[in-house]
Amino acid sequence: MATPQVRRSGLTMPVVTRRFVDHAWRRGCDFINLDLEDSVPQHLKAHARGLIKDAIPIVRKGGAEAFTRINHDHVHADLEAIVWPGLSKVNYPKAESAEEIRLLDDVITRLERERGIRPGTVEIGANIETATGVAAAYDIASASPRVKEFGGGSGYDMSRDLGVEMFVGFEQFAYGKGELELAARALGLQVRAAPFVANTTGSVSDADRAFGEAQAARKCGFRLGGGLNPAVVEPQNRGFTPTAEEVEDARWVLERHRELAGTGDTWIVIDGRVIDRYEAARARDTLEWAALCAERDREKAVAVLRTRAAMAEPTPPTSA
Amino acid sequence: MSARIRRSWLVVPMSKAEQIVRASRSGADVIVLDLVEFVAEEDKPAARERVQAAIRTAHAGGAEVFAQVDPEMLVADLHACAWPGLTGVIVSRLESPQQVAEVNGLLAELEVRRGILHGALEIVAALETARGNHAAYDIGCASPRIRGLTLGRADLIMDLRPEPSGEIHLMPYLMQRLIGVARALGVTPIGAWWRAPARGLLAGPDDTYHAARRGRAIGFTGSLCIDVNQVEPLNRGFTPDDAEAAAANELITAYRAGVARGVALSEQGDRLVDRGAAAQSLALLDRAAACAARDREKAEMAGRQ
Repeated sequence: MATPQVRRSGLTMPVVTRRFVDHAWRRGCDFINLDLEDSVPQHLKAHARGLIKDAIPIVRKGGAEAFTRINHDHVHADLEAIVWPGLSKVNYPKAESAEEIRLLDDVITRLERERGIRPGTVEIGANIETATGVAAAYDIASASPRVKEFGGGSGYDMSRDLGVEMFVGFEQFAYGKGELELAARALGLQVRAAPFVANTTGSVSDADRAFGEAQAARKCGFRLGGGLNPAVVEPQNRGFTPTAEEVEDARWVLERHRELAGTGDTWIVIDGRVIDRYEAARARDTLEWAALCAERDREKAVAVLRTRAAMAEPTPPTSA
Repeated sequence: MSARIRRSWLVVPMSKAEQIVRASRSGADVIVLDLVEFVAEEDKPAARERVQAAIRTAHAGGAEVFAQVDPEMLVADLHACAWPGLTGVIVSRLESPQQVAEVNGLLAELEVRRGILHGALEIVAALETARGNHAAYDIGCASPRIRGLTLGRADLIMDLRPEPSGEIHLMPYLMQRLIGVARALGVTPIGAWWRAPARGLLAGPDDTYHAARRGRAIGFTGSLCIDVNQVEPLNRGFTPDDAEAAAANELITAYRAGVARGVALSEQGDRLVDRGAAAQSLALLDRAAACAARDREKAEMAGRQ
């Protein structure tokens, strides 16, 4: 598996709302998802498509990656309008079959060639939001090498399709989420999943909740975030980044594990904690992830400084 | 299906062959001679040399003996293990039907060469990776030798970590999936429902008992363990207890009394009594009797030592 992208936080926003797009670079996001789908009214779809090309460089000014969510039923028109240099990923909602993904791949491949984009640059986000999609999960996830992360299987569309309630105190999507995650893992893709945390409110702007969820997800080994409200960006960045204590602990684990070499023991218990090759692998993972997060944060800081300088805007004393 | 009673599968690393004597007295239904998980790479050749003698020792307390082998080192591992007295092998990290076919072929060859009844050696498939679990049904169909499926150490190998609820991420799904596939294939699902924090190597007797009891509730019949102190709680947790047996007896009595009156559906307290409930109670009593018989058998074997 190639080095994973750092995608701890991101905002999905209607590309037709000018002020969201203009200010997106100030939010500290790892990615911005420009929406053509549910947040764009039907009569504005054509207009919205025409905005993507210029919006891509605008939302990237703070170092975020630019994605676009297209409409399930307007694949050709949407792709023609959005596959431009600077786009990292096309999010495809309600994916239900491998054929759909192969079609996307064909069109994107052609557009990359025609528009001078390095072949294979644009990823496909195959979003599973229906029972049919769950049933075809493995085929969908393996339909194109452009699918690099996979998972999900919850949310409003899924809950409507299955006829289950949205905000309940238990895991109502256990089977579908399990299917998608198993497919992602079997194919060696980045897993988009999260531990179960009961949510009975449905708030999209609760910063404490976002931090708690991101932290629980990080402790479970997951790394992918995203949301709708700027209030959750910083908590997600923080919650998905290993803390200094975790980094120090990972180094300690690796030292203890190195000491096992040649002893004939493959594991040891220290202070009620098992140190073995699995703990060591996890520790290496944590260190690698912490380094990637730090690198990503530097990239974003540099981009923000450059943009502020270009705008001759004074840099505030602190920034997130 | 009257499968052997295999509630506790005690793993003994063959790099620590001295542990085999204590293991043979632990009351384990099965002793697993490990060449994979707990043996350092450099110790593997020496570990293989010890298997044949360990098989004999392990039998002393009445345990069945399996060996745990590495699909990447099949020739060496199976040659070291396939001796008379061995019941079967657990193949770690199985991922494809082709690997099963390879194990099957090697075992058939060794059976001929070493005077073991043809087809006698069993295979337990340890599905410890996502690929293995994804292919579970095909793997289970790949050889008639396959008698069991287990997730083994999938939580560690797949790096599945505890959730805030205490469940290990994805394990409730993987366990139910494995049990469903195993039953569809007519083979035994092996495992227990471990929860954080005390699981695996760190689980004390109580944690282990509850893991077994929860595991039995969702269809497991026995579990692997690494510590001799985990054997008794597994045996106990996977055996129907006296209260369960008494309730089953009462239900069957009530059902028969109903049938004698010409009533197939009745109530006992607030419980429904019908043919399905009676059949389930009978199965529980059969299982309890088989567990008791297995315990007597082990006691006799141990007594002869």
